[in-house]
Amino acid sequence: MSNWYSENRENIVVSTRIRLARNLSGLPFPSRMTAEQFSELNEKVKEAIFESNTPFAKSMSFIYMDSVPEIEKYSMVERHIISPEFAANSKGRAIVISEDESVSIMIGEEDHLRIQVILGGMGLEEAYDIAERLDYLLCDRLNVAFDSELGFLTGCPTNLGTGLRASVMLHLPMLENSGEISSLADSVGKIGFTVRGMYGEGSKATASFYQVSNQITLGISEKNAIDNLKLIAMQLIEKENKARETLNKLKTEDMCFRALGTLQNARLISGNEMMKLLSGIKLGADMGIIKVKESPIKLFIEGQPYMLMRKFGEMGPDERDIYRANMIRETLN
Amino acid sequence: MLCEKCGKNNATTHIKSVVNGVVSEKNLCGYCAAKEGYSGLAHNSLAGMLASMFGDVTGFAPSVAAKKCSVCGASFSDIAESGRVGCSECYKAFYEELLPYLKRVHGGTKHAGRVPNKAPLMVKPKEITVDDLRLKLNELVREEKFEEAAVIRDKIKEMEEKGNE
Ligand SMILES: [Zn+2]
Ligand SMILES: [Zn+2]
Repeated sequence: MSNWYSENRENIVVSTRIRLARNLSGLPFPSRMTAEQFSELNEKVKEAIFESNTPFAKSMSFIYMDSVPEIEKYSMVERHIISPEFAANSKGRAIVISEDESVSIMIGEEDHLRIQVILGGMGLEEAYDIAERLDYLLCDRLNVAFDSELGFLTGCPTNLGTGLRASVMLHLPMLENSGEISSLADSVGKIGFTVRGMYGEGSKATASFYQVSNQITLGISEKNAIDNLKLIAMQLIEKENKARETLNKLKTEDMCFRALGTLQNARLISGNEMMKLLSGIKLGADMGIIKVKESPIKLFIEGQPYMLMRKFGEMGPDERDIYRANMIRETLN
Repeated sequence: MLCEKCGKNNATTHIKSVVNGVVSEKNLCGYCAAKEGYSGLAHNSLAGMLASMFGDVTGFAPSVAAKKCSVCGASFSDIAESGRVGCSECYKAFYEELLPYLKRVHGGTKHAGRVPNKAPLMVKPKEITVDDLRLKLNELVREEKFEEAAVIRDKIKEMEEKGNE
């Protein structure tokens, strides 16, 4: 079983995500639903998927969120499987998820259905293909709210039309360092795309990871939105690569080995320090300056607070710094 | 930076707000942000956009303020304040009111993507044609409602003249 983050990819593109927002007609949207309506929704979706008997259905599990412990729930946020909103408001909700967690459907988030496909590296078409197949399966079996004028009807009017949010996560340390990323984010914003930090909402990035996604969903086809996103991502990648060419080799090497040295020897590492150092190591590894035993992205995800507690049990932040340092030291030595 | 609410997780959501000209910034982790109701920039900006276009979202024309979605009961100020509609029928009930925002947010207002094999909801009010009016006229004449029929006849005349220009 391999997740989007488990394979080592020496690539600026860390991951690709496709999300489709869908709703059923005849039920209010989640912000106005009762507990009974949530269970009605859960059962309808469950039936639609599992009575379809497709190979797809056989690879998916249906999980009631009430049965998921808090730590597991928030670790799913850290693995980018569910949104923080869904984790915080998961009472009576459910999720359909594939074994490798690459395909999932959040039931009762902001929309009745949030189909998600997340893959490692650049794979927009591939991810959209999978999402669309699942969408066909659902649209054939459920009464999905659709209008010929406004397209798929969604809880938030910003998702109307295709209900598609396509995004790629890019590692852009050089563009961040030079400050160029903010002016690029501004100009990308003017043409209907957003650039934001790793965990979604804020404008500041975590350790130079940026999520680029489409904003416009009405009046544009899925293919156009994806093609345009790819084009923008390619331009950002080219700019990042150009900036990397100007790096002083010795200085970069020094920075990478210092980061590696700290990670291989430290006894206490905070989440922030870990992310900063791994970002530096990823830059060095992607440029062929250093070799690492494990994907920096994998360590990055596994060193998140709830991921650590999922593995080692519940603990406070000070104790986590010890376990985090131990885990990284054991992996990198 | 740690979340200023729980002090445990990294702050990933940074919310800037301006109150009376003073800028304040909140730095929260994703979980606390969700608990505090900051769920995604998209809604905030939509709610903000609605508010900025209308000034005060409670100050609608009485006809709009009184209107409620017949299915879920949402009013337009509910939608404007939260940035979310209550159900799929809301789009039918508030189509005219939402149209200017959709134009602002998306540029376009006509779906151009994939179409499922389902009967659409038809949110856009149907345009009344001269043929529709003629049918109505015949009906009124049959029922001997001549005053109302005269109004319709004038309307037909007006539309035909416009059509011939
Ligand atoms: Zn917090
Ligand atoms: Zn409604």
